[in-house]
Amino acid sequence: MQQNPFTAILTRLGTFVLVMVVLSIMIFVLARVVPGDPARMALGPTATPEQVSALRSEMGLDDSLPVQYVSYMGRALQGDLGMSLLSQRPVATDLAQTVPATVELVLVAVVIMFAVAIPLGVMTAHFRDLWVDHVGRLLSLVGVTIPSFLFAISLQLLAARYFGDWPIIGRMDHGLGFAGGPTGLMLVDSLLAGRIDVFLSALQHLALPAVALSMAGIGQITRITRSAMLENRRKDHVLTLQSFGVPERVIIFRYLLKLSSIAPLTIMGLEFASLIGNAFVIEMVFSWGGFASYGLNAILQKDLNAVTAVVLVSGLFFIVANLIVDVLISIIDPRMRRKEAR
Amino acid sequence: MSDALLKVEGLDVLFTSYGQTRQVLRDISFTVGAGERVALIGETGSGKSVTAKAILGTLPRNATVSAGRIEVEGRNVLELPRGARDALKGSAFSLIMQDPLSSFNPVFKIGTHLDDVLRFADSREGVKSSRAQRRARIAAVLRRVQLADPDRVMNAYPSELSGGMRQRVLIGLALLHQPKLLIADEPGTALDVTTQDEILNLINTLVAEEGMALLMITHNLGVVRKVADRVVVMRHGDIVEAGPCEKILAAPEHDYTIGLLDAVPPLYGPRVQTQKISAQAPIVRATGLGKQFGRHGKRFTAVKDVSIALREGEIFGLAGESGSGKTTVARMMMGLSRPTSGTVTVEGTPNPGRPLAQIVYQNPGTSLNPKRTVKQSLGLPLKYAGLTGAARDARMAELMALVRLPVSYLAKYPHELSGGQKQRVAIARALAADPKVLILDEPTAALDVSVQKTVIELLLHLREELGLTYFMISHDLSLMRNFCSRLAIMLRGEIVEEGATPEIFADPKHPYTRALIAAIPVVTDDEERYKPAVSPEERAAFLVKTTD
Repeated sequence: MQQNPFTAILTRLGTFVLVMVVLSIMIFVLARVVPGDPARMALGPTATPEQVSALRSEMGLDDSLPVQYVSYMGRALQGDLGMSLLSQRPVATDLAQTVPATVELVLVAVVIMFAVAIPLGVMTAHFRDLWVDHVGRLLSLVGVTIPSFLFAISLQLLAARYFGDWPIIGRMDHGLGFAGGPTGLMLVDSLLAGRIDVFLSALQHLALPAVALSMAGIGQITRITRSAMLENRRKDHVLTLQSFGVPERVIIFRYLLKLSSIAPLTIMGLEFASLIGNAFVIEMVFSWGGFASYGLNAILQKDLNAVTAVVLVSGLFFIVANLIVDVLISIIDPRMRRKEAR
Repeated sequence: MSDALLKVEGLDVLFTSYGQTRQVLRDISFTVGAGERVALIGETGSGKSVTAKAILGTLPRNATVSAGRIEVEGRNVLELPRGARDALKGSAFSLIMQDPLSSFNPVFKIGTHLDDVLRFADSREGVKSSRAQRRARIAAVLRRVQLADPDRVMNAYPSELSGGMRQRVLIGLALLHQPKLLIADEPGTALDVTTQDEILNLINTLVAEEGMALLMITHNLGVVRKVADRVVVMRHGDIVEAGPCEKILAAPEHDYTIGLLDAVPPLYGPRVQTQKISAQAPIVRATGLGKQFGRHGKRFTAVKDVSIALREGEIFGLAGESGSGKTTVARMMMGLSRPTSGTVTVEGTPNPGRPLAQIVYQNPGTSLNPKRTVKQSLGLPLKYAGLTGAARDARMAELMALVRLPVSYLAKYPHELSGGQKQRVAIARALAADPKVLILDEPTAALDVSVQKTVIELLLHLREELGLTYFMISHDLSLMRNFCSRLAIMLRGEIVEEGATPEIFADPKHPYTRALIAAIPVVTDDEERYKPAVSPEERAAFLVKTTD
């Protein structure tokens, strides 16, 4: 009996909305109970108490927390996330400029992750206990254990030493005079504008931070893929296909790979949290104008509206990523589809 | 027979693991002639499955064939290059696997498996075929195994079919290329007995119609009688006896074969044991038990209006196939699960400070914690029974003596014990808290038949010694005939028949009971004759459809 996949996805969406509400309440309360008066900080030490209290009431800080929350969320849903004290611009505008940079970085890192980790996992499983396996496992161990900022700095140093003119900071060469485009993603915008030179420059700039960001995930996913392949390899259905003469390559790359991709995908959903966390560090090292470095500054300067918005966007990232992972898994695994319908 | 289809000669196979080499097959020789049905029979570790894998060329990497020949139509396949050997798969011989669920990759449709097998078999033979042509051929084969709606089967994922249907597809898979030899590794063992019966009938029909030879690998002597002309009995990697089926079953020569046949619980005839009916008062009484699972609109009734009075000192058997609700009833009687309707009344008095009932599970391999020694496993219930120090050690020694295990085994981990020994430990653990009732959930289903015999004997002794009452759940009616004093048969959550065991077997009233008894594979022709008759209409009304 086939069920309606939409019901399953709607239920999932419902829980995600709930998660977002809880997250927003938590960050909202947290941001307001920490010591320090945002109005005072915005106006600076020379402001008079009258000016401060005027700004306080203008910012709505005199209202009770629930009232503040409701009015904040009401405005947020209309796209008004308040003013950033730091940049003196609407937070929404700041995010619109910075979020695409982070999205681009994270997406490319995810692509690198899967492009490297899945084949590596399959190979280490296939050549189990041979040198390929040992090297692969060592690499994944290195990826998991070494913190990403160390990778970032090492990559910068290596690039500077051996490829003198390889760009190690920023998103692209400003000398090219490219103003950006509708999506904010350099790789996409440059192609839309037909500027291959900009595309190549953006790719060059992306390479190091994306690689540094993907290392931890590569290690993790390689190991998961390897163990899933090894475990499924022992299953009876492999023996069945073997005994009917289906070639080894078909069994591995078709039957085993699809079955073994469920575990790394599940891990990927969780890995997203550390990916965003690491992006905060990587963006600082590479002066990447993304929302992670924007958020870091906001936290240090107690820029409340900006901090709240950054946390919400991070949460949204995580949730959307997991939604995509869930959909992918239910496409792969028919048993999951039925379970959800129940 | 000089022109045997399959000829295995002096086969030796070695397994190497962790630097140690073990010989798992010693000098195995037998033949299968064209159109002949041969059964390889043996218990766990006898090497019967390894023999099949050696023939197919699917031995694990750490196995080596150190001596011998395997000839298929006069050619030694062990000397063939890999490609030529692969080409034999599916065409010269085909395998029917044991477990129909794990034999399919769960994330691919049934049709994908079949299509790939056919596609590569075709390309090895240099035949070009389109997807549509292959689909038509697959549909034809599925109809051969009596699957009425091939399109639905092909578009289904493995988890969407019943066990019987999957087993049929597996047989169809083996038939795709009209092999001359069909190798069947315990087909139907994982299925209910009525379904297994249908599968065996199907294999017999197909073998006869297509003129194939059959090599059946099984541990069940009843199955052997049903599907084999000749029998090869294996034990610990050796062949102990071989000969025509009737001769082996009627007049076995080797002690091992004699013991094996003796261990099979008889269904009818002079060897049958009858347990005395208890006249004592009920110890636990269940009245109008009902259990529903699920929430909202999708409620599923697992148990409906079941009333059982468990009398003190009896062995009550609750029989039924998978999904009949028998385990749910047992859980409710033990108080592990709350009935949706009805009541469970404890009428007997438990030993002071002790629960009335304990349970022994089906698979001792999973019900014992692999990381804990026997002593630790027994220690936990004793701790809650308030025993410490010397008193606890004394009780442990007593328990080990009860289950006939040496006290030195207390220091062992489960993996150091055999299946039968593990089940003894599980029984000792259940006895630790002085229960008056033992619930036995298929206590011997995971054991070999000779081990089953010793465990059953132990349980009978324990009942005498300790005055226990048993409540047994099982699907194995031949075992229950000899072990239970009273019997209830469950079908789809309801008890359809209940009574003294000999009466039920002598004159089963309900058609389902008759179908169930008739489906049990038995060892002698006499038993076969005593079986009740079932009309096709009755079968159709009560058995799960496996054809579509």
